[in-house]
Amino acid sequence: MNVIEIKNLTKTYGKARGISDVSFNVEEGEIFGFIGPNGAGKSTTIRTLLSLIYPTSGSATIFGKDTVQFAPEIKKEIGYLPSEVFYYDNMKVKDLLNYSASFYKKDCSKRIKELAEIMDLDLSKKIDDLSLGNKKKVGIVQGLLHEPKLIILDEPTSGLDPLMQQKFFELLEEENQKGATILFSSHILTEVQRLCNRVAIIKEGKIVTVEKISTLKENTYKKFKVETKDTIDPHYFSLPGVNKLEAKENLTSFLFKGNINDVMRKLADIEITNLWIEEPDLEEIFMHYYEKEA
Amino acid sequence: MNILLHELRAYRKSTIIWTVSLIAITALFMSFYPSFEKESEGFRNILEGYPAAFRDALGINLDTFFSVLGLYSYGLTYITMCGAIQAMNIGASIVSKETREKTADFLLTKPVTRTTILTSKLLAALISILITNGIYLAASTLVMNQVKSADFNSKIFILLSLTLLLIQLVFLAIGIIISVLVPKIKSVLTVSLGTVFGFYFLGIFSAGDEVKRYISPFKYFETTYIMENSGYEASFLIAGAIIIILAITASYMVYIKKDIHSV
Repeated sequence: MNVIEIKNLTKTYGKARGISDVSFNVEEGEIFGFIGPNGAGKSTTIRTLLSLIYPTSGSATIFGKDTVQFAPEIKKEIGYLPSEVFYYDNMKVKDLLNYSASFYKKDCSKRIKELAEIMDLDLSKKIDDLSLGNKKKVGIVQGLLHEPKLIILDEPTSGLDPLMQQKFFELLEEENQKGATILFSSHILTEVQRLCNRVAIIKEGKIVTVEKISTLKENTYKKFKVETKDTIDPHYFSLPGVNKLEAKENLTSFLFKGNINDVMRKLADIEITNLWIEEPDLEEIFMHYYEKEA
Repeated sequence: MNILLHELRAYRKSTIIWTVSLIAITALFMSFYPSFEKESEGFRNILEGYPAAFRDALGINLDTFFSVLGLYSYGLTYITMCGAIQAMNIGASIVSKETREKTADFLLTKPVTRTTILTSKLLAALISILITNGIYLAASTLVMNQVKSADFNSKIFILLSLTLLLIQLVFLAIGIIISVLVPKIKSVLTVSLGTVFGFYFLGIFSAGDEVKRYISPFKYFETTYIMENSGYEASFLIAGAIIIILAITASYMVYIKKDIHSV
């Protein structure tokens, strides 16, 4: 079952770029990554899903219901964490969280306490006095306190220290195991790589690809770096499937996509002193998608 | 209900400050009445020397000016102006506050309709203004009874005092429509002071002209008319009601369809 279905969603703002013809689905129970650089249209897509802004054309459904028509009903089961959190400054953390909880028709006080403990958040402080990272924690607790079925995160990690980030990811994985679906937007690839099953890559308002993370990595090349004893002919590794061949004295590096045995045979014939074969990380795959289109 | 209570709490401080200030202005103004009454002959001679148009512009009517209600209604000009600023402040901050403090994302991703949000905020604003007026009316009644030299018509006094509420309602509505239409209001006070003083001066220049009076809500409830007829002018009551209804309806229509942009 699809929790989110986006069909040809388009949003234009006068001259500024919005999103055009965005379509993808998020299945129940998955952690779905939504990646692209700043200004590519991630927030626009998410804000349209939350009916903060309305689409120019196209539509989206969440839990099978139209996001514009059934907005209040859908939002009962959504937890949202924006990239920048700002809350009513003159309130205490506790009061804000209780205010937030008062919108959901259930008792959230126990969950608030649990989450505050996990995130190491002082409930009695004034929001005004909190640091950016602590405000972010308020945002996290605020987004999760009603145990939503769908968690939407828009660049959630900015401002969190690595330790808190770790705790936050563990918390998300826990929620996911309990059955929550997560839409995770980010421009930081390592965190997407760590958490997500599938990703959609967005570029200049258009979806470039929707893939499983594992497939993304499979379908790409390997990075070879060979150190040889003697300087070799730079064209020695010119095989079909080799790219970006670079030779610097006795260090040769290239990218290879194809049958790996071909390269291994070539390697066996020369005297090598060191060898690195690396999987490209998501960053490089991502750059690949961006360069290809440019 | 939760939004209503939250909003009321947010307005609490400013409502108290405005109410106290309004009462203080009335008390100060009316405390001059006893000595003012003693010297009334001298004042009358001076004022008679001024051109009639000048007296009209300042809202001074020589027939009633020296009664306790006369002085009260003169002071009311400033009370209603302050009240208009208060109402305009609340109205203009209703929606713009969320944008400026960047809390719109918080509120609008909760399971509530935008209609509910606007209605709750509107009710909170209305309640704050009603509280202001209730306390103001009680306190100014006390003040009037302290300074009076002869009994005054309490119906006329209440009708005069209620112009504060009526003018506040009009400016509340104007404030709301501005806050919905203008994408980002940096300073609410600038907007409300500008609008209120603008209308106030328009009112001064349109004094005496029946048609021009419709331009400024400050001229809708002429104290002279109220004192003579112990009632309001129906056509201006209707004009006020139309402004309020139009502004509020338009605010709902715009707010429901509005895109809430990230910051």
